[in-house]
Amino acid sequence: MNVILNTDAATMSPIALFLQADWVVKFVMIGLLLASIWTWAIIVGFATKLGRTRKKVERFERDFWKAEDIDAFYRIEGENDLPIARVFAAGVSEWRRSTASGAVDRDGTRERLATSMGAAVAGEIDKLSDRLNILATVGSVAPFVGLFGTVWGIMRSFTAIASAQNTSLSVVAPGIAEALFATAIGLFAAIPAVIAYNRFSHGINRIEARLNRFADGFHATLSRQLESETRR
Amino acid sequence: MDRTEKIGLGAAVAGHVVLFGLLSAGFLSGPEPDQPKSIPVDISLVDNVALEQTAPPAPEPPAQSKAPEIAPPEDAAPPAPAEAEPEPAPAPAPPVKQPAPAPAPKPVPKAPAKPVVKPVAAPAKAPPKAKPAPAKVAAKPAKAPSKPAAAPAKVASAKPSTGTKPAAPTRKPGGFTLSDSTLKGVSAAPSPSKAPNPPGATMNAAAAADIGSAIKRQVQPCADRQVNPGPGASRIVVTIRLRLNRDGTLIGRPTVAEAHGGVDDENRRYVDAVDRNAVATFMGCAPLRGLPPELYDVPRGWKTFSLRYKLPG
Repeated sequence: MNVILNTDAATMSPIALFLQADWVVKFVMIGLLLASIWTWAIIVGFATKLGRTRKKVERFERDFWKAEDIDAFYRIEGENDLPIARVFAAGVSEWRRSTASGAVDRDGTRERLATSMGAAVAGEIDKLSDRLNILATVGSVAPFVGLFGTVWGIMRSFTAIASAQNTSLSVVAPGIAEALFATAIGLFAAIPAVIAYNRFSHGINRIEARLNRFADGFHATLSRQLESETRR
Repeated sequence: MDRTEKIGLGAAVAGHVVLFGLLSAGFLSGPEPDQPKSIPVDISLVDNVALEQTAPPAPEPPAQSKAPEIAPPEDAAPPAPAEAEPEPAPAPAPPVKQPAPAPAPKPVPKAPAKPVVKPVAAPAKAPPKAKPAPAKVAAKPAKAPSKPAAAPAKVASAKPSTGTKPAAPTRKPGGFTLSDSTLKGVSAAPSPSKAPNPPGATMNAAAAADIGSAIKRQVQPCADRQVNPGPGASRIVVTIRLRLNRDGTLIGRPTVAEAHGGVDDENRRYVDAVDRNAVATFMGCAPLRGLPPELYDVPRGWKTFSLRYKLPG
């Protein structure tokens, strides 16, 4: 009647659980652990990058609307690496190219300005959201991988039960515990990945909206300039 | 991989190492949740038949009654098990002498159970059988005793406190030897009846109690392992019969008597489970050591041994 689970601290330790597991389960666990590390690396890197970018973009925009002379501002900020600076540079260079020759096609110039700045926005957003797909993949796949490890481990422990001809808890429990550990790691990797994915895609969307607003405003300024310049 | 990603990777690796280090160090294990206490299951092996056998020697006189009178009890016998329980004691006195003759050796103890039934059953079937040749009559009575005997035995086990010790002898092989002797003739019956009794003296109450407690001691570990199947199951009393080799190993599975004590509506469905517990208890700790060899093959020796088993309440 004294079937007592061997629940000393050692069996709760991840290392012990890992070492007891079948090699398939071990493989799953290692993969999930790497996925978790990679996820967190992306999360940390992304969070710092996104926060810094947002702050710089805000400052740049403020500076831009305060600037008196666009050409002078372009000389200072033209080589900046910020997404918003790239959009600004794309607009300015397209403007210069379009107005270089004497005869200006206003409608064509407006269209080209809009297109080139839109392309710059899209390119910058693409670059920013580069790693986000990894978070999405880990978030959706890791639980299934962990589940696979668990199913495999439980199958194995059932085989052990069958061969031991004994259904006592001490035979059943260890195998199931180590199998469930795989699911635990899968969830451990997936939950932060899903949360981070949602949060970062929201952040990216906000930056994209801000870039688009900036591009529209800049486009309006340039097209106003275009009209006044051709009237002259 | 730019600088922020390297920083991120470093932080992630460090975080994982720290987390798993803490887990490995038992940071989260904390105090274990209370393990379910395993309640030690005691069996009370209410002691054994031999104790009760010391009584039978006295009732010799009844053996002298004639064969014809024996017939009734035999017919009465089959129904007896069913009806025996209600009133074991009530009217036994008068009828006792009639049934007694056939089963000569141990009749008296059984008598109390049968009397109730006989008045009803006997009239119908008794006459035909009583008239035929004495030899047959004698033969049947012989069987009759064994059956009725079983009934009282169960009654006794069901209500240990009532002290119906006579029950015990029923299971004895003595029943068979008796039947052989009775076949030879009614007159012969009385004399053989005495034969079984003297040996019984060697297996007296004290010896039986010793053997019982020796068995109980050896079986206790297995008894502790039995799981109580449910509420009220501990009131069930099972009479279990062991057949033993001289070296203490069991011959076949122990058998469990049909009748159980302490069965009520609440625990009726656990009867089978308790039966299994009882059998498992004795099978599990099977080779019973240290039983006195000199008492093995004596008439009430431990070649076959009955015990009462019950889960602790």
